[in-house]
Amino acid sequence: MVVNNVSGDVSGAAVEMRDAFGATLVELGRQYPQMITLDADLHTSSKATMFKRAYPDRFVQVGIAEQNLFGISAGLALSGFMPFPSTFAVFATRRALDQIAISICFPNLNVKIPGSYVGLPTSRAGASHNCIEDIAVMRALPNMRVADPADGADLRAIMRAAAAVQGPVYFRIARMAMPPIFGADHTFEWGKGVLLREGRDVTLFGTGIMTTFCLKAADLLASDGVSAEVVHLGSIKPIDRELIAASAARTGCAVTAENATINGGFGAAVLEVLGEECPVPLQRIGVRDRWVDSGGIKELFTHHGMQPEDIAVAAKIAMQDKRRRKQ
Amino acid sequence: MHLLPEKLCELDEMAYQIRRLSLEMITYGKWGHIGGAFSMAEFLSVLYFQVMSVKPDKPQWDDRDRLVLSKAHGSPALYAVLALRGFYPIEQVYSYCELGGFEGHTDMARTPGLESSGGPLGMGLSVAVGMALAMRFKENARGRVFCILGDGESNEGNVWEAAMSAAHYHLDNLIAIVDYNKVMAKGFVWDEMAIEPFADKWRAFGWDVIEVDGHDIPALVDAFHRARWVMPRGKPIVVIAHTVKGKGVEMAEFNYKWHTHAPDAATADAMLRELARNYQRPELGYSKFGAEEVKEEFYGGE
Repeated sequence: MVVNNVSGDVSGAAVEMRDAFGATLVELGRQYPQMITLDADLHTSSKATMFKRAYPDRFVQVGIAEQNLFGISAGLALSGFMPFPSTFAVFATRRALDQIAISICFPNLNVKIPGSYVGLPTSRAGASHNCIEDIAVMRALPNMRVADPADGADLRAIMRAAAAVQGPVYFRIARMAMPPIFGADHTFEWGKGVLLREGRDVTLFGTGIMTTFCLKAADLLASDGVSAEVVHLGSIKPIDRELIAASAARTGCAVTAENATINGGFGAAVLEVLGEECPVPLQRIGVRDRWVDSGGIKELFTHHGMQPEDIAVAAKIAMQDKRRRKQ
Repeated sequence: MHLLPEKLCELDEMAYQIRRLSLEMITYGKWGHIGGAFSMAEFLSVLYFQVMSVKPDKPQWDDRDRLVLSKAHGSPALYAVLALRGFYPIEQVYSYCELGGFEGHTDMARTPGLESSGGPLGMGLSVAVGMALAMRFKENARGRVFCILGDGESNEGNVWEAAMSAAHYHLDNLIAIVDYNKVMAKGFVWDEMAIEPFADKWRAFGWDVIEVDGHDIPALVDAFHRARWVMPRGKPIVVIAHTVKGKGVEMAEFNYKWHTHAPDAATADAMLRELARNYQRPELGYSKFGAEEVKEEFYGGE
């Protein structure tokens, strides 16, 4: 089923993901009086500053102290509040992993964790700031939900869905302007993917900003006579096992694409489902067990083999594997 | 601070029972930290039976005082005092370290009256800061958050991040208690990683400091009275409780070899009798003789 509010067209005016983040924080702040946004000296970068301006009394600055950021959030959640501790993804999931795991996830506290500046596009900051292992790490934590939005509307829907459930959520925000895939009425459901484009020959499973790259790859493949199905899986944990297995069964081979390391991340999550439910040839696009150095955004995506052209090549390799196995 | 003799007797009895139950559950559970549970007995007794405002029949009562056990390996002493205070039947503490029972380190989902979950050191004071901020958001001026830290635990950087923020937010509704028992898991604090000048460190971080003999019940009553009602002036307060690790049983006193160590039934029996003699109580030994033998042995060393 193709959702009717999806155009699959990525030619619209791009929206900065972090602007959508800031605007949605403000929207949720209006809806949830118990919501508190916390920051560790990065609010003008993450755009949490928009919440600070709207609700200065519900904004807590903790300085450059991420372990404390998540501990304080746990204490607020234990007192009935819904904290959004906001910082760069690297500082959340690397520096404060123990606090997230034991102070927040273990007691299943109602803390919503935005990870800003994920993956490759981080304004030339280099390996220390390019967060590539957060999907793998966060999805390994019991109780944690994990999501990676494709565009501004998807991010807004994910944040609404995060606030609507009880328990910890980790969601990613790339520092990138993304063309709209989804309409303003887009909704998000935990554990549900979206079939963006139907196809016969190969499935492209995308998450986060890579879903747009998958749509572009499908266009490239179409010009070569290949019919590619495109599935967006914004909800990485829980993941839509049914949709993954059904699509792979139809097309017989697949490619995953993520703005992160392929080790233990999104591609691995899809691979787990396919291995258990419907083993088909699979190629994974993402960072291949290496650090992401400084560089221009386009340059980095090319360097790491993560451009739409790379996805198209991977699709053809997967299709070759499929043919070879049939012989 | 005025303290009736009967109240003093009750607090003393509760400190004895905290030690007794801690040793029982560590022996029966075949795992645990005797030293760090024993050193907290007096101040836990004073907190739960004299200082803190809690309702055992309504553990989620919104205006209650809160206590975060940051040194969560001291859990047996907390499980004991919560049972004695009436949060659950005393027999329930024997589920300690059983599959599905009370956790080795604190799990608030398993134990009524627990305000947080923990285990890794250094994290609890941040959680307490969050709770103290929450009281401010809710305009609850009477409530207090207590947080118990270990001395060795203050090697952790997170403690000082939390300390800095508590002073920044003027959280005089936050009272930290350091169980300064001088002994860590594998050695002495001064030798493993020195923390002195300790009181000066807290003062430098913007806290008011009270130092007290952590086994002197009238002194503790006085210290908490001052911390709660007399001293608040826009600064968080730390009560540095000078204690003896393993206090109450000679073999475990001031001895890091009893940091993590479950005694066998015969040793526990002798320890409990010694404890009873020290408290001039009827000589009561180990109550679960034989029962623990059927359990799987999974930890034998220190």
